Amino acid sequence: MTTFAADLYLLVAAYGLALAVSYAGLPVLGQGAFVAVGAFGTAQLAAHSVPLLIAVAIAVVAAGVAGYLVGFAAARLAGSSLALATWGLAWLVYTALVLFPRLSGGSQGLTRPTPATLTSPSLGVEIVLDPWVHAIVAGVLVVVLALVLIRADAGPWGLDWAALRTGPALADSLGVPVQRRRRAVIAAAAALGALGGAGTAVLQGVVAPTDYSPLLSLQLFVAVLVGGTATWWGPAVGVGLIAALPTTADSIASALDIEPLRARAVLTAVLLVAVLALRAPVSRLLKPYVRLGSYAGPDRAAMEDERTVGDAPLLTLESVVVEYGAVRALDGVDLDLRAGEVHALVGPNGSGKSTALRVAAGVVTPVDGSVRVRGEPVPGTSAAPRVRAGVARTLQHTAMLGRLPVGRQVEVGARVHDRTPFAGLRHLIAAPSATRDHRVRVAATATALEVTGLAGRAAADPDALDTAEQRLLQVARAVATGASAVLVDEPAAGMSARQRDRLGTILRRLADSGRGVLLVEHDMNLVGRVADRVTVLAEGRVLASGTPEAIRADPAVTRAYLGVPPD
Amino acid sequence: MTGGQLLQAVLTGLSLGAIYGLVAIGFSLVWSLTRVLPFAHGDLVVGGALFAVLAVVGTAPVAISPSVGRSVALVVLTLCFAVVLSVATYAVAVRPFLDRGKHGEDVLGWVAGGVTAGLVIRTALGVALPAAAYAVPDPLHFDAFTSSGSVTLPGGGSVHVRVFPVIAVGLLAAVAVDWFLVRSHLGRAMRSVADDPDAAVLCGVPVERAVVAAFALAGLLAGVAALLVAPAQPIGVDDGVVLGLAGAAAALLGRLGSPHGAVAGGLALGVAQQLVQVAPSLGAAWSELVPLTVLVVVVAARPGGLRAPRQVPAE
Repeated sequence: MTTFAADLYLLVAAYGLALAVSYAGLPVLGQGAFVAVGAFGTAQLAAHSVPLLIAVAIAVVAAGVAGYLVGFAAARLAGSSLALATWGLAWLVYTALVLFPRLSGGSQGLTRPTPATLTSPSLGVEIVLDPWVHAIVAGVLVVVLALVLIRADAGPWGLDWAALRTGPALADSLGVPVQRRRRAVIAAAAALGALGGAGTAVLQGVVAPTDYSPLLSLQLFVAVLVGGTATWWGPAVGVGLIAALPTTADSIASALDIEPLRARAVLTAVLLVAVLALRAPVSRLLKPYVRLGSYAGPDRAAMEDERTVGDAPLLTLESVVVEYGAVRALDGVDLDLRAGEVHALVGPNGSGKSTALRVAAGVVTPVDGSVRVRGEPVPGTSAAPRVRAGVARTLQHTAMLGRLPVGRQVEVGARVHDRTPFAGLRHLIAAPSATRDHRVRVAATATALEVTGLAGRAAADPDALDTAEQRLLQVARAVATGASAVLVDEPAAGMSARQRDRLGTILRRLADSGRGVLLVEHDMNLVGRVADRVTVLAEGRVLASGTPEAIRADPAVTRAYLGVPPD
Repeated sequence: MTGGQLLQAVLTGLSLGAIYGLVAIGFSLVWSLTRVLPFAHGDLVVGGALFAVLAVVGTAPVAISPSVGRSVALVVLTLCFAVVLSVATYAVAVRPFLDRGKHGEDVLGWVAGGVTAGLVIRTALGVALPAAAYAVPDPLHFDAFTSSGSVTLPGGGSVHVRVFPVIAVGLLAAVAVDWFLVRSHLGRAMRSVADDPDAAVLCGVPVERAVVAAFALAGLLAGVAALLVAPAQPIGVDDGVVLGLAGAAAALLGRLGSPHGAVAGGLALGVAQQLVQVAPSLGAAWSELVPLTVLVVVVAARPGGLRAPRQVPAE
């Protein structure tokens, strides 16, 4: 029973790690370090006569804070640096435990009496924490965690996690606060790791450094990789395999006459290799079972737009200057976008079209000049505040949120409608406000799917979309944010003439419904058909601005495109 | 602390740092061509050294001076094993997870692949060499420079004589790599891939060959590091990980991607570690924590360390 209870505590730590690795896609290689913080923290605090439950709580909170700090440091970077930081942390904690016996009790470890008892003189209660009690406590924790993960994954948090693991850059462009979510996820993972460690320490009554070597981190990592992406049962199967490992290893060790610890390492290595090799086939096998909510019919009542169409332009760029090193990409550009118009931005390659669009979207900060949304300056260097203010863009290249079904990909864009804080928590406890939020999200998604003509494709695998549909999916995600200014970067690239016609109709429809569309495009036929206004950029300056007809007749534009005609 | 002790710490630190530098150049090189962090890199050092010892001396090595034949065999095999392990790690554990079309690279995949490769190397060695650490023979015979094996410094300290050739070999190897990258055809191809793989493909650079060459060169440098570090003190199967992480810290200190920076970072890290060791209130235990602490802090503080410059205008 002691072993079983210990395995359940390990599963608690594994669920924590699964949140980071298999749900949010963050390569955390140091869960063992957080488990160690929980175990040694509890043992040390309890040895200094801190009441047991308070000791556990302090250790768990400390690990959570440590996880948050790790996340804070590594969240701004690519995922690989998080792997390096956490792998370094796993070895740092282990090395420190080995080198400082005062901290860890040396190779013998720290011991405390078992079974522990919880007494409350005021209530006159005394609970003996025998292995059965531990198994029940840990079992309840595991079941609760699994249920929470299942429920949370179906709600707003699930959307955020999917966005984190499949396309952080894209998620950022859709207004998901990527870095904040990453920090929160790592902190939660660390706290759960520490909780598992604390439980084991109290259960076993002995905490020795060798049990918390980086091998533990690797074992937990492989355990959460077993089930593939975002499965609640994955960690359970993984920990089951890990739990079977010592006995198997010991019998192999005695059969082959090698050291038991080495045999465990051999089996962990074999397990890691097997899991890596089987990852792709397993995810293919599980693919048909992806659940999908329905996006039937836009609920216009729930989609009420509180924004009023005032006189101020949706978006104004004034004398904007942008420099990439020594290159002046934009040199005093003025530009505005009004509700109900398609404003096309054209110009030769390298003229600054995409840069202007990125400035408008808030991802490039100008060195000079101002950007205003509805007449008001918008702060921030990331896209998220801009999206909340009603400006969303598509990326120039076709980016996908992994193999998330089309409808869910669009719903990630609609996530920004959850204006009240703790949307995930409110969903978890089924608060009425969460149901309302959900209705708004579904409505926004349905509207975006309908307006882009993708309504029939909501359940489709993104791999099944043709090039044009993939482009439209980009537009749909931006529209789903509820943005009144939609910035579209070369949407027609790779489209056939018929698909361009369809795209033109959709862009026109967006403008006619009261949105403003800023269109960067090379195809002058498309521009001539859909644009109300055209601005021509050349070498970072505005060359001309006016109706498509006027622009076509402008000799300066002809010169910029075709060179100076011979006289 | 006397001046002699300080000099002793600095010299010992420089020799340790030269080894870190060699590991760091390889780490940095692999990163700049592939944007992959080689998690098994440190294990190549110990793998090269101990597989060669296994092949030449057997499972019960002793640190006696080897014969000329054995010395040559040890040197050649150490370098070969390190190169082969490095390229094999790339082919088996990293390559399959890169470049998956529009779904992008699989970070979880290559991170797991790298740590798995490291664990496989450690495990394979651990089965054959079960003790905590082994004293292995020195095929380069650095101890034979003086009869006592140590040199007395002005001011009272003394250092192991091998400190000087280790610093020299470490720095010479770094200069050779620099020369290779700047002068040779293959080196230039590697630098072009590091600058911009897409443009390199368009110019007809064989990108895949350049990447394999980077892993091979990283392995070779790990092999040189193995020749320098293994005989200095008893070496354990698991020592490679911390060495690799120290190399990572050095590479990050020197702005990831720059060979000069990697060497400078390595030297700084080695000296810092030795200074902590001789510092009155700190000592050996604290000194062992220096590389790992620096790694975690540097990744956290990010002195431009992990940023890919080419990502600025592109998206």
